[in-house]
Amino acid sequence: MSEKLKKDQQSIWLDTLITLSALMLMAYFYYGSHIVFVGTVCAVVSLIAEIICLRLMHREFSADDLSCTADALITVLMLPASIDLRTALSACIFGVIVAKNALGGRMNTIFPPSAVSYLFAYTSWKSQVLTFPEPNTQQDVFEKSSVLVNSASHVFNTTGRFSYSDFDILMGNFSGGAGTVSILILIISALILVFRKDISAGAFFGTLFGTAFTAYLVPLTDDRLLSVKYALITNTVLFSAVYIVSDRRTNPERNVYSFFYGLLTGTTSYIITVTTAKENAVVLVCVLLTPIALALKNLERKIELADTEQLGKEAVSVE
Amino acid sequence: MNKNKKKTFEGLFSDNTVLYSFMVISPVIMCGNTVKNALALIYAFSAITFISVIVSSFVPKSIPYSVKIIIYAVISALVYIPVKMTAQEYFSEVVARTGIYFPLIAVNSLITVQTEAKFFRMPKIKMIGSLVCHILGFDAVMLVTAFIRELVSYGTVNNRVMDSDFMISGSGTVFGGFIFLGLLSGLYRKISSLSENEQVNDRGEENVSGN
Amino acid sequence: MTGVKKMFLVTEFIALLGTNLILMQALGTSTLFIACNSKKNLVFTASVITFFTTFGSAVSYFIDRFAGNGKLSDFRLLFYILATGFLYVFLLSVFYFVSRNLFEKIRKYIHISVFNCAVMGTLFTVSEKYSGYSVSLSEYVLGGFQAGAGFIIASLILTSAYRSLNSAKVPVSFRGFPAMLIYLGIISMAVYALK
Repeated sequence: MSEKLKKDQQSIWLDTLITLSALMLMAYFYYGSHIVFVGTVCAVVSLIAEIICLRLMHREFSADDLSCTADALITVLMLPASIDLRTALSACIFGVIVAKNALGGRMNTIFPPSAVSYLFAYTSWKSQVLTFPEPNTQQDVFEKSSVLVNSASHVFNTTGRFSYSDFDILMGNFSGGAGTVSILILIISALILVFRKDISAGAFFGTLFGTAFTAYLVPLTDDRLLSVKYALITNTVLFSAVYIVSDRRTNPERNVYSFFYGLLTGTTSYIITVTTAKENAVVLVCVLLTPIALALKNLERKIELADTEQLGKEAVSVE
Repeated sequence: MNKNKKKTFEGLFSDNTVLYSFMVISPVIMCGNTVKNALALIYAFSAITFISVIVSSFVPKSIPYSVKIIIYAVISALVYIPVKMTAQEYFSEVVARTGIYFPLIAVNSLITVQTEAKFFRMPKIKMIGSLVCHILGFDAVMLVTAFIRELVSYGTVNNRVMDSDFMISGSGTVFGGFIFLGLLSGLYRKISSLSENEQVNDRGEENVSGN
Repeated sequence: MTGVKKMFLVTEFIALLGTNLILMQALGTSTLFIACNSKKNLVFTASVITFFTTFGSAVSYFIDRFAGNGKLSDFRLLFYILATGFLYVFLLSVFYFVSRNLFEKIRKYIHISVFNCAVMGTLFTVSEKYSGYSVSLSEYVLGGFQAGAGFIIASLILTSAYRSLNSAKVPVSFRGFPAMLIYLGIISMAVYALK
């Protein structure tokens, strides 16, 4: 891991947590206390799991290891607000233990932990993960939601229709993941995190550009510009672009490479959405394209080594 | 004497076919998701491997290895036929459900690779003991994997419903098999290393007390 | 919509991954782990496996016509092994006459790439896929070649992470094969979700 990334881990975590808290607040406003309870419990349990894993690996716990709480919140915010606590907990624990610590922990992050957690929940409890409460249906901590509907993304994928006003879109007043539909807050979070260099700008813009460009070429609606707009706000694209695809732990450091990775992710996920109507394909594709991110990081490392050797030779020849 | 005994029994734990040598993984991943499947494959693997290796041990050593390996594979394919016929009597549904993984047991690495590399370098009696232990090692892993995966993914054990209201259906799939086996082998390595450290400490204490 | 599907190869690629012999069928996993030790090993193993899955499938076409689903179907495994054995001897002979040095190098390891679940599993998979249908030889050969290509794709996927999975940062208990299994499992999970 680079020196810059090592030093900034805590400030990245803090900034991410602040933006996630804003999303959680919106989720509480629309869906009640159940989602906040689930998020809190998952964050605490993820932290405990992380501490246990570190102890087993004979490593010291440091403030940098608090990133597991942010990963847990990202996972929970992608799930429906009505999600069962056990499902969310299993997914978060899976992400911490299997996707992260078994493969080397935060110093050797191969997969984005929250993406793998979501994928695990998606494949094991598909019906639970893809049915959502309508906004403004309050759910108490231990209450079960009775009326669940398909997400607006599902309707858009299958019919090409997205009948919500711009205000509703910005405020997140349509069915979807607990934190993935609050578009205005996501835009503000993205700006904060990009300008503070907490996320990879290359991957972020690459994902958005890839999705937008492909949506313009192959529109799902009659109007190309509308298709671009809806493609960016549905299927967790914006949320994933901010918190998952642009995760600096898994991205190449140089923006050129990470832009290419983001571009590939955005394009591929949109194509899958268009051809198979799969919901939230961007999260699934992000995990699938991990080998490409790793290959780009390997390439980057080799180029840096070659540059360092070249500089060394030049220094010797000058002497 | 103890070293020889250890070598004979190592197939059960320290040199486990699946968890240490990472051989015969496919049936464990694909078919180790219910106890019924596991029992059928355990029967097939045990019968085919045992009989094939014993029969193959009579193949003259002077034959070039490139030809011997074909002979070993042919022997196991011939042994497979009666084993399958018997399995169809007792596990007819399972044989159909496990599909291609049933015949693939006959070309497992224990027969094609380990025979020359390990078994045929031992005296006959020790070879039989070691072979049995390696087979039992695979059987144990298969059974444990199937038990846990069936309980977690379907809430049943050998098709008997258990009192479990939370199930993880993913653990019964192919990716669940990969991940479960990866975690199990990691746990196995940890336990192995702990027991090795204990033995080294015990030997160290004996030396000290001996002095 | 049909034009869109034809325009992009992505869905075809996902479909290919969906039938990948390693990610979706766990065939040849141990062979893959052994092969990933070095790039040279990997290229050689992948090439040999692709050769055997392709030509083996061609031979299995005739075996399936001969054995059918009758009494001889139980002997199918035996016929496949004999066919694979014949191809194995043929390949060794080619190496022997082309380059004695190469023959000496490969003869100790080639059997690992030949007599394994990847090759045998492919023959059975292709046979099962077209069982009951009237297909041509080219379909069998294509099926075998796809399986070999699937092995190559899986090996590329594993190679990209090989260094990370064997790094000192991975806990000792998981370093190497256990981590590789988990890694392949997570990729397999993504393919499963996209299928």
